[in-house]
Formats: sequence, structure tokens, C-alpha cells
Amino acid sequence: MSAINSSRRRIGAAAVAVATLLAGCGYEATPVPEPAAEPSHSPVEAPDCTTEDRDLASFPPSATGGPAVQRIRTDEVLRVGVSADTYLMASRDPRTNRIVGFDIEIVQAIGEAIFGAAFEPGRHIQYRVITAADRIPLLQDGELDLVVRNMTINSCRWADIAFSQVYYNATQKVLVRSDQADGNETNGEYHSPDDLAGQRVCAPTGSTSLDRITEDQDEAVIVPATNHTGCLVRFQQGEVDAITGDDTVLAGLAAQDPYAAVPEQEPLSDEPYGVGASQGDEDLVAFINQVLEDMRADGSWQRAYDRWLRPELQVDAAQPIAVQPYRS
Amino acid sequence: MSQSAAPAPAPARGATPPAARASQPGAALPGSQPGIKPIVDTPRLLNRWQLIGMTVAIVFGVLSALVQFLSWQSDGRAADDTEQLVRVQEIQSSLLRADALATNAFLVGGLEDTDQREEYDATIGSVFIAIAEAAEAQPADRDALAALNVEVSGYANEVEAARVYNRQEYPVGAEYLSGASEGLRDNALPILGNLADANSERAENAIDGQHPFWLLVLGVAAIAGLWWVNHQLAQAFRRRINTGVAIAAAIVLLATLVSAAAALRAAGQNDGLLDDELSSAVDQAAARTAANDAKANESLRLIKRGSGELYEEPWRASAAVVEELADPSTLDAWSDYVQRHSAIVDLDAEDRWAPARTIAISDGNQGSTAPFEAFDAESATLVDEMATETTDSLRAGRSLALAGSALTLLLGIVAAVAVARGIGARRREYA
Repeated sequence: MSAINSSRRRIGAAAVAVATLLAGCGYEATPVPEPAAEPSHSPVEAPDCTTEDRDLASFPPSATGGPAVQRIRTDEVLRVGVSADTYLMASRDPRTNRIVGFDIEIVQAIGEAIFGAAFEPGRHIQYRVITAADRIPLLQDGELDLVVRNMTINSCRWADIAFSQVYYNATQKVLVRSDQADGNETNGEYHSPDDLAGQRVCAPTGSTSLDRITEDQDEAVIVPATNHTGCLVRFQQGEVDAITGDDTVLAGLAAQDPYAAVPEQEPLSDEPYGVGASQGDEDLVAFINQVLEDMRADGSWQRAYDRWLRPELQVDAAQPIAVQPYRS
Repeated sequence: MSQSAAPAPAPARGATPPAARASQPGAALPGSQPGIKPIVDTPRLLNRWQLIGMTVAIVFGVLSALVQFLSWQSDGRAADDTEQLVRVQEIQSSLLRADALATNAFLVGGLEDTDQREEYDATIGSVFIAIAEAAEAQPADRDALAALNVEVSGYANEVEAARVYNRQEYPVGAEYLSGASEGLRDNALPILGNLADANSERAENAIDGQHPFWLLVLGVAAIAGLWWVNHQLAQAFRRRINTGVAIAAAIVLLATLVSAAAALRAAGQNDGLLDDELSSAVDQAAARTAANDAKANESLRLIKRGSGELYEEPWRASAAVVEELADPSTLDAWSDYVQRHSAIVDLDAEDRWAPARTIAISDGNQGSTAPFEAFDAESATLVDEMATETTDSLRAGRSLALAGSALTLLLGIVAAVAVARGIGARRREYA
């Protein structure tokens, strides 16, 4: 019987082992996906857009308009591409949910001039919030009549669209932490792009601002974002040390964050803003130039500047004089 | 069952019956001479057959009980995995629900609706609680849930920043909000997708844990073994059937038929749960998640005023998921919501943004929120019902299965005892 007992013990032990093995079999750990990749900056070869004074010349002002103005009056709607997140220039007011800012005042003045006494902003102006990259394609496709979105006039863009005369002379600058703009040299004061060596600098993806800062300081670490407000989010979260862009845009960012500042500095470039229109709508451009001259005459440009930009830029500015001779 | 042949005359103690000697030439005593008919050691043969017969019965009992035990355990795991799957999908739905609430509240403006705000807080709170519960319930999910926790914390912080900036009327608030929504979809949802896939696979594998075939194979093998033992005895003792071995075979047959039938029934029931209740719960939860994604995109298209198409494409993709997966009983409310959404799109396309926004944020009869809320509530109820029914059914027959497993083990032992007694009778005869 000892053989039987021994076999029984062996069988029992095997059964327990199998049961333990099978019962205790664990699950494979759920895989954790890799975090989404951060967008990277691929420098684009900027076209050679040497902009001279004559490139800033537009068509002679005309209050009469032509087929394009007539088309807009017939359609009873002016379709305008704008920004909605460029504080002070064009951004959504959370209280009223309307887009407001310096650019919007220019649009309103154009709308009033086209539609006259019957003008109703809510009915006659159709705003479309667009990105910087959308500006030229949407005009070329005829989906928009105008683009008023801090758009710089240059010789290359003239090849694709038409511009009004300059309505604001912006410059590209750099925004930094307020402690780099407090006059205390011991904590890394910002003076020029030389100070950006090794610093993380943000600008919108694919913008020429990024390329320009790379040209001026190739040791800067370029960090792109979807737009300038996205740069401000990264700045506030400590992911970037500086933001570069037009002074108007940077003023809007600084206004939203007391710890951001645009120190006194030599501008990296001039950024003359114009209203964009489709090629072939020269009559509309000439009409807008007349509106801009009217704004100069009645002081509405100055009032708009004083209301939206002066408090933050703290610079007295006047409406740019139209470059002459005009285009023919 | 009785012995069919007349008992052999009792031989003298120590002598070997002639029949046994004649039928077992292979079991010769050591030292037997070549050419001389070997002497058969019958007691040793009886011991061997008894050992084989008892082993067959015990092994049958143990393995059959083990298979049933594993099935019992599998049903338990299936219920647990189903609960985890539903929990993960609830987290997913709640996160998108929170996003829909946050974006809709943002759209209202700085003076957001306090009820909506409270609901957002409660929903995000429920997500954190569910993550902790899920990590407790399934250790294999802990790394993924830890990563999810980081993402949800980041999301909640960004929504909070968006809200604060919105109240200060700064546009950076909208950027925080859209960044939060984007991060949620880019980083948190893939983790939840992995969790849902892993738990779905686990639940399906565990539900498929009934093995009637193996129970039958074990029973047939055991009966074959016992038949062989009986055959050897019949040859040695000229009795066709050994009572003890026959009783053991009958016990094995009965245990096999009952356990295999029960396993077959349970497998069918589990297949039904997989195809019906669980499938409905999973589909409806996915539809609810997609619906909330759509509602969030609706608000984002109005927050990013004029850039509608950017958010309309994901809205259409989510709506297609809802229409494909949602239970027909919930689609009436969804159709109403789709109609209101179409009105929003039409108005927004005409730049009549204010009336479009009114439809998006109004909880009255003309707004898109009321039918959406109805769909969401109906979906949540349906998911809960189906999931509860699945887990309850999986757990319902478990105690019976465990009792069956223990009984099979006991029957295996009883069969072994029957074999021992049956062969013991032969041994006594021989003695």
C-alpha cells in the first residue's frame, strides 16, 4: 500500500501545482501609449521678399467704388477674414461674445462706408475667424472679400493678392519675463536677440517670425505653437522663455499676463499692415484707401489706436501716410 | 451488477489459481526458468490494477473538478473584467461629458451657469474616483491608469485656467480650453482606448472559459481506463464485470454527463451575454462617448468663431459612431439633437453667430442641449442596465459551479474507493 500512498501524494501535489498555476495566472499589463509628439520647427526657406517703399504703395483712394463694391452691396454682406485670439487687434469679448479690437474698428469703418446709413454690423459683416496660413488662399478662392488680420504687406504677397495702403506700422519684437525687463542687469535683462542664445523662443508654426529670429540668433531654441496665444500658454507654463512677433500682438499678450513684458528694444523688422483683397478687386482696394483717409480726417483711426493699442504699447503713434506715387 | 461467472474455488493460502497463472504469462516471478511456464504473481497484479483503477478515478475527479473550478473562476473573472470594462468606458464617457460641459459653459461666457459648473465638477470628480477604483480592481491596468491620472489632472488644470481667464475676459482662456480639449483627445483617449481594448479582450476570454469538451474527454478517458482494468480482471478471474469497477465507471459517467451538460449550458448562456447584454453595454457606452465628443466639438466651433469646419469634421465622425452603435430606442433624442445642430451650422455659416450660440447653450425646447441631455441620460441608464445584467448573470450560477466542482472531486474519491473495494473482493477471493 505504500506505493499507492506515494502515488496519491504525487498526484495530489501535481493537481495542487496545476491549480495554483492556472488559478494564479496574471494578466498582461495594459500598454501605455507614447505621449503625442510635440510639434517641431522645420525652418522653411523664406522667399526673397525684399520690400521697398514702392511695394507699400496701393491704388489711389476712390469713394466711388466699382464692380467689387457693387457686388458686396448687392450681396448685402461683406465677408471678412479676421483673428479672434489676437487681444487688442481682434479677439472675442467673453461678455458680449463679439469680436472686438483695432482691426475690427477698421472693418466697421469699411462696412459703414459701403452700406451707408443702412449699415448694421450684425447683418452686413460676416466675420470668419482664420489662421495666418488661411489668409491668402481664402482670398484667392473668393471665399472672402477682405482679410483684416494683422497682415504684413510685402512684395511676394503682392504677387498673390492686392493690398490697401498701410493702416498700421508694426514691428517685430520679443516678449520676455517681466524680470528680464525690470532694469536690473543682474537677472538677465533682455536687450537684443544676442540675449536669446540658449533660450526657448516661441512663435506660430510656419511663421516668418521664427525664421527671422533663427537668422538673428541661431543658438536660440525654437519652439513653435499653433498661434501667438498658444505661445502665451507655453510661456505661462514655463515651456518657453520668450515669444517673438509683431509688437501689436505682443502687447495683447503682455496685457493678459502681468509677468510678461515687451522691453525697449531695437525692432527685428518692420511689419506694415494692410487690408488684403483679391487681385482684380482694385476698385474695392481704392475704396478702402479712401475709407482710411477718411478715418485720418475724422480722427477715428486715432481714436481706435488710443482705445486699443496705446494703453499697452505706451507709444504715441499716428496713422501712416500713404506711400506715393500710387499704383496704377 | 453481479459477477457473471461462478466464483473460482478458494485456493489454499499462498497458492496461485490456475486461471490466473494461465492468463498472466507476463507477470512471471523472478528466477523463473526459460522454457518453464512462468508463475504469475496474482496479488501483485491485483495491486497494480487496483492502483491503476484508483488513479484513473482520482485523476478524473481531480482534473474534472479542476476544469470546473477554472470555469467557476473564469466566470468570476469575466464578471470582474466586464465591470472593469464598463468602468473604463464610464471614465471615457464622463471625460467627454466633462469636456462637453466645460466647452458649453465657456461658450456662455464669464458668468457661466452655476448648475453646469457644478455638474462639470461632479463629473471630473467621478472620473478621479473611477480611476482609483479601476486601479484597485485590476492591477494590470495600474500603469495605464496612472498615466491617465496625469493626463486628466492636466486637463482639469487647463480647464480651470481657461475658466479663470474667461472670467477676466482674456482670449488666452479660449486657448487654454481648446488646448485642454486637444490634449484630452491626443493623450488621454488613446490610454482609455488601450484600457478598453485590454479589458474587452480579457472579458471575452474569461467569458469563453467553459470547457464541456474537455469534461467529456476526461470522462471518456476515465471510463476507458476503468474498462481496461475490468477487462484485465475479467481475463484473470473469468468474470465479465467487477462490481466495484462498474460502480466507479457509472459514477464517472454520471459526473461527466452532468458536468458537461452544465458547462455546455453555461457556455451557451455566456455566449448569449457576450452577444447581447455585454455587446449592447459596450456599444451604447461608445455611442455615449462619441455623442459627448460631438457636443464638445459643437461648442468649440462656436468658441473658435468662424472656424467651424475645423470642428465640424470630427463632429460628423462622432455622429456617425453614434448612429452606428446606439440602441434604436435612444436615437429619437439623438435625431432631435442632430436637427438642432444642423440649425447651428446653418446659422454659423451665415455668420448669425449669436442665434447659433443661443441654440447651443439653451436648455429649453429649442436648444440643442435638451435633446442631447436626453440621449446622454438614456444611454447612461441603458449601459448601466446591460452591464449589471451581464455581471449578475455571470455571477448567478457560480456557487452551483463551485459545488459541482467539489462534488466531482468527491465522486472521484468515491469511484476510487469503489475500485479498491471491487478489486479487494477479488483479492479476498484469491486469498
